[in-house]
Amino acid sequence: MSQKTEKLIDKKGLRIDGRKPDELRPIKIEVGVLSNADGSAYIEQGKNKILAAVYGPKELHPKHLALPDRMVLRCRYHMAPFSVQERKSPAPSRREIELSKVIREAIEPAVFVEYYPRTAVDIFIEVLQADGSTRCTSITAASLALADAGIPMRDLVAACSAGKVEDMIVLDLNDVEDKVGTADVPVAYMPNLGVITLLQMDGILTSEEFEKAVNLAIEGCMKIYAMQREALKAKYVSVKEVEE
Amino acid sequence: MERFIDPLSVHKFAVGVSMDLQFQKRDSGQIVLPGEPLGVIEEFIPDAGTYVKDGVIYSKVVGRTLIDYLNRRVSVFPITRGAKVPKVGSIVVGQVSSVQTQLATVRIFKIGKHMLSGFFTGVLHVADAQLRFTESMFDVCKPGDIIRAKVISEKNRMYHLTTKDKSLGVVYAFCSKCGDVLQQRGRRGLQCSRCGNIEKRKTAIDYGKGII
Repeated sequence: MSQKTEKLIDKKGLRIDGRKPDELRPIKIEVGVLSNADGSAYIEQGKNKILAAVYGPKELHPKHLALPDRMVLRCRYHMAPFSVQERKSPAPSRREIELSKVIREAIEPAVFVEYYPRTAVDIFIEVLQADGSTRCTSITAASLALADAGIPMRDLVAACSAGKVEDMIVLDLNDVEDKVGTADVPVAYMPNLGVITLLQMDGILTSEEFEKAVNLAIEGCMKIYAMQREALKAKYVSVKEVEE
Repeated sequence: MERFIDPLSVHKFAVGVSMDLQFQKRDSGQIVLPGEPLGVIEEFIPDAGTYVKDGVIYSKVVGRTLIDYLNRRVSVFPITRGAKVPKVGSIVVGQVSSVQTQLATVRIFKIGKHMLSGFFTGVLHVADAQLRFTESMFDVCKPGDIIRAKVISEKNRMYHLTTKDKSLGVVYAFCSKCGDVLQQRGRRGLQCSRCGNIEKRKTAIDYGKGII
């Protein structure tokens, strides 16, 4: 990728896109954007644009894959060919397959999976435009889509990344910071229950820095959670106004 | 993991919200989201749409609260389209996908008033087709027909259906010779409007009204 000679953090302590170290990118969330899906959500986090759709519960085919005591949660994370600077092949890459698994495992603890035995619930995540931390943004959108589909959940899942850029722990990395920075720590969090459902680290951090990064990411998750709530409520408040 | 989350702050958050609820007057009809604390088990009996963890009652769906102070019950009524699966007793609509003399297979695409995004498979046995004795399943329905039925069992990983009611049975049928829609002609007889072929079905009382 293009090697940046400019500093990632300027003398005032501001980041490359003018944010403070503990500042999130601007977020816009919309719930219920697709009429053909059972549940859906669209999120813009900085330059990230991600669409999540949920179908189900439905009968699982082939039937031998069905589990007798719980539903099967299937997740497909996919990046559109036009989501990155150089055209990405639309075939699922190794990275996308891994992220699908990682996202599913981050969402699964929040879902009452045992309520619909022998069924499947599909989550489709489509990255329309990628700008770093797409796995976190995807989890945020996917949990909203699940809630919109009416699938019983323990809690919403909010996700946010933190990382180290030029000896500074910063929140919500963008693409440049992710690539040039020293470390990246994505965290998914259930805010009401206080449970971490995803914790990864890519790069090198000391244990103090790691702790700081995780705590910062959780703070970010709480802020994102507030926005998730607002977006989910907004859909149903407006529905009510139409009905009356 | 506990090293990184301050358990106290988490506790404060969970309890803090429920304490807030205690101080303000809790009204029914508020919109709540999954994971939202509604109270503690000492004050309410958790009902539909809620779950309990560590003594705190949480909502598990997007819905409106119903707080019954008389019976001390709290429940959440979903306002989402809702995840629907066939249950014993539910009325379902489906398309007959295959018929044998004893059994018909139905692709269920509607549960109650709820259209499904996928489908479920149900089976209808001759013994459950009509109140009176039925010789063959071919006198009840044919492949392609749209049928309304009731779920009587979900044993053996299958939805067993019945059409033993006036309101249940075929609601839309096609001629097995030319494929045109069959019209009701008198009792128990259906006639094709194109080729005049007469066929037998177990029809619902509102056959041909376009209601499914």
